[in-house]
Amino acid sequence: MDASALNSPDLQRFLNQEKEKAMVNEMVAKLTSVCWDKCITSTPGNKFSSSESACLSNCAQRYMDLTLIIMKRVQSMQ
Amino acid sequence: MDSFSTGSSGTGSPQISTDEFMDQMKAQLAQAYAQEFLETVRGKCFEKCISKPGTSLSGSESSCISRCVDRYIEATGIVGRALFTSR
Repeated sequence: MDASALNSPDLQRFLNQEKEKAMVNEMVAKLTSVCWDKCITSTPGNKFSSSESACLSNCAQRYMDLTLIIMKRVQSMQ
Repeated sequence: MDSFSTGSSGTGSPQISTDEFMDQMKAQLAQAYAQEFLETVRGKCFEKCISKPGTSLSGSESSCISRCVDRYIEATGIVGRALFTSR
């Protein structure tokens, strides 16, 4: 593959897709780590309790809310 | 797409096609994701299951690790769904 291949639309599309996948992957991994620490306080059992799975789900959504609030706050300071 | 797939004819660095490049990159990314996941799960489950390291892994510790890995995978799914399904 030579340098001219970098202009290939197929390659560009592929790279953009993978970039997006990497971002999603990173976000899910990060949130899982944070919310696991917050919500799973006991030794892992054979099944999540309903409160544990609700906590994980809420935790992930609240983390995104928080991101939005912080972004707005920081933007308003500029 | 086959304008690059001239093979390694002639001198210079071997040429690969764009398709081959994309396949290789996908495989490497998948490996990197798996590696990172393994690292994270190892840390989390060590913390949860090995509270006081003994001279060997006890039966209850290894079953804790198995459950922990299963739950971490499940947690990843729950978080993913929480983020990407409409509220």
